[in-house]
Amino acid sequence: MLAVRDGDLDCMGELFERHHGPLFGYLTKLTGNRAAAEDISQIVFQRMLKYRHTYRDEGKFTSWMYHLARRCATDHYRKSSTAPIAVDPSDLAGHADEARSADESAASRDDHALLQQALSRLDRDDREVLLLSRLQELSFAEVAQILECSVGAARVRAHRALRTLREHYFQIQKEPLT
Amino acid sequence: MNCQFCREHMIELADAKLDAGTAADVRGHIGACEECRREFESFSLVLGTLDAIPSDPPSHRLRAQVGGQIEAEKLTLRNQAAWASSIRSAAASPGRRRVPWMQFVLQAAGVCTLVALGFILGERTATQRQLADLRARVDTVGQLVQQSVLQKRPTGDRLQTVLTAATNRRPDERVIDGLINSLAFDPSVNVRLNALSALYAQADQEVVRAGVLACLPRETNPLVQVSMIDFLVAAKAREASPELRRIASDEKANTDVRDSARRAIDLL
Repeated sequence: MLAVRDGDLDCMGELFERHHGPLFGYLTKLTGNRAAAEDISQIVFQRMLKYRHTYRDEGKFTSWMYHLARRCATDHYRKSSTAPIAVDPSDLAGHADEARSADESAASRDDHALLQQALSRLDRDDREVLLLSRLQELSFAEVAQILECSVGAARVRAHRALRTLREHYFQIQKEPLT
Repeated sequence: MNCQFCREHMIELADAKLDAGTAADVRGHIGACEECRREFESFSLVLGTLDAIPSDPPSHRLRAQVGGQIEAEKLTLRNQAAWASSIRSAAASPGRRRVPWMQFVLQAAGVCTLVALGFILGERTATQRQLADLRARVDTVGQLVQQSVLQKRPTGDRLQTVLTAATNRRPDERVIDGLINSLAFDPSVNVRLNALSALYAQADQEVVRAGVLACLPRETNPLVQVSMIDFLVAAKAREASPELRRIASDEKANTDVRDSARRAIDLL
């Protein structure tokens, strides 16, 4: 990013190749909507280009990227004024791990769909802190920096979010099929 | 170590993000506390499932769009570098007349128009005269350019400047050059359209027709392109015919723009 800031825009392509996958995955889970995740991802890279002069060599690039992503997602929600839509379980049918048996695959698909559904029931702030904490490249100190709160507060929020997610997940598992 | 501390660090323990000392403490507590052990097991289950939710890669649209943005930014940087270079060379030659960046770009556009005219209709002489006239006049444009584009005033301000110019029934050369300048370089379609509208009253002036003609090849917005073509027809600018033919036969051009160019050729 330092090279991009200094005018070497070819490096922007490399940054995109390296980071767009995890970013898109994060935004897909955050929004529950692939199209919205693509739109927001595009805006994130657009803002990286636009605001490259403001990039400082302080902290990790990924922290800066997810900080931008957070703001872009907030703008997206403000514009759309709609809550994230739970993923249709049938959308996840194609994600099965083919190496497993059919039964195991079907069970995994169900688990994934149920958890995605549980995730969509969380408040946006809870979903955000929990998903940020799942990113391997970010420490809690960096998550706290992105959320503009203390490390302790980030830990507490993530713990509460996880507990709520677990409750929703177990509750959905008990709900009768419609 | 109490239960609350332990639970708040469970996510990091599951992800192996804790330092060795804290991890050992938390593990020790979990081993001794039945309630925290159950909590950790259920958390691990949920986190494992959450992490395992697969995410297909994004469509090619994302790569194409971001790639397009990067290329557009590169082009902007190159143009800025060319402009800076022209300014530096002018500054390095104090005896020479200062060359504003507007002139640099308009000269390039002018040369293209000139070549097209020469090859197609042999109207080189008339166009050269017009463009020479235009180049001479745009020497005075620098101040307006600096005010409107280089200083990056808000769009509303730039639009207001153009609208004010439009109310001037007898604008001087500087105002006309400023309007042509806005038509050529302003990033806002709204400002460019209003600049063109303001130029209608001066369409009888050769320099105005030549200016609009010079701006046409670099314009990318179909709405402005069609408006420019309408202007050239209204101004009976026959010298625009070669450029209009080029647009009419350009398969990459917008369909409406091509149709408009064809109609304009018939009318001229």
